[in-house]
Amino acid sequence: MSLWRQSLEVSRVDLLVERRLGDTYRIVLPFAVVAMMIFSLALPSSVTDIGDVGVAVFWAVAILYGMQVALRTSLTETQQRRDTVMLLGLDPAARFAGRSMAAFVLLSAFMGILLVAMILLFSPELPRGWLIATLGAILLASAGLAMLAVLAGEVSAGLRNRSTLAPLIIAPLVVPLVIGASQVLESIARGDGILVWILLLITADLALLTVGVGLAKPLEEASR
Amino acid sequence: MKRVQIMLLIAALALAAGALLAYSAPLDRLQGEFTRLLYVHVPTLWIAFLAFGLTALGSVMYLIRKKERWDRLAAGSAELGVLFSVVGVFTGMVWGQAVWGQAWDWSDARLATTAVMIFVYIGYLALRQATADPEKRARRSAILGTIAVVQVPLVYFSVNLWRTLHQTQSIRPDGTTMDPEMLVALLVNVGAFSLAFIALLMGRMLVTRLELAAGADTELAGDTVSPPRLSEIEDV
Repeated sequence: MSLWRQSLEVSRVDLLVERRLGDTYRIVLPFAVVAMMIFSLALPSSVTDIGDVGVAVFWAVAILYGMQVALRTSLTETQQRRDTVMLLGLDPAARFAGRSMAAFVLLSAFMGILLVAMILLFSPELPRGWLIATLGAILLASAGLAMLAVLAGEVSAGLRNRSTLAPLIIAPLVVPLVIGASQVLESIARGDGILVWILLLITADLALLTVGVGLAKPLEEASR
Repeated sequence: MKRVQIMLLIAALALAAGALLAYSAPLDRLQGEFTRLLYVHVPTLWIAFLAFGLTALGSVMYLIRKKERWDRLAAGSAELGVLFSVVGVFTGMVWGQAVWGQAWDWSDARLATTAVMIFVYIGYLALRQATADPEKRARRSAILGTIAVVQVPLVYFSVNLWRTLHQTQSIRPDGTTMDPEMLVALLVNVGAFSLAFIALLMGRMLVTRLELAAGADTELAGDTVSPPRLSEIEDV
């Protein structure tokens, strides 16, 4: 079986498990929407137009709760399943790619729904061309976050405090993605070009892909 | 042990010489006595970059060679890197409060990326702390150490990428903007802090080796005992 085919198979299984459990849309998504509401309630009275902070709140919530979505599979995977996959002779790079693809699909949809919720709750003033730019930023940020979460999930696999450790590992490393994604819309609003921020996101994604595929074998050994 | 003691002594003498030069160097007209913070702030952050670079080197070498000493180098460097970068940030905050009128500015790219870099390595150290088995710990942290280093150039070049409050580098390939006396004092302090870092790193690596030899890393209490699963016991 080719590497691509193996990746698709891994991705399909992860998405199938998610469809049966529905954790992302039944639990994490409502939780994230509530978090956006809490943000708006906690704002000081000096913020007269709540729409001004809508985009910033969206990216903060999308990235922080997106971590939960992306890490969910890694954190709930048992050692038995891990061993079984290894004994099947699955290519470690395909495993990394497949898991990242599944997390990417979930994250893109998750952030898309969250974007709609943000627009309904905050009614921000959005500049012309915002939709395509924001969707592009969501896709690129989702890809980076998905790969980072798979890497963090693997290095913390089997540890008793992995559910708290993995977010600590991801949160500071996710900064180039947050900067790139949040600056896209701001640059459009200012009338500046967005190419530099899109390039930052693409560079971060390519770097993570290279590290993930290149270190897939030691990563698999490390998680044993 | 003897080598570490000799290195510590040399580093102490070099730090004393650096302090003397920092005290006798001319002051900036506007910054006054706060100029002297430069001789701690710059060397400590330079050491932090060096330390995180060594963590990456140790991590990559461990993945290639699988020798335990590379893991000790990576771990020791990361610990010292965090320590030196916290000192560097603190001295920067004191200087910032006095000269800029504010200790911290989130819109400044250098400050924000430095803070993030510290947290990346706090995560690295937390991962090491969480993994009891030395071999597993070395393999996992080697992977994270390889990824984490991407933050270092981002911090260093942040002052060039985003033109914000923090000034750009004073020493560049095309020359320097500093007074020669101040430059000498700064370079001596960079050398002295580097020697201190080497001495501390040697000491830390020695301690880690002794800890491993003594078997200090054992499973947490309770992990060695497996009680029967009550749900599987049939009532008699």
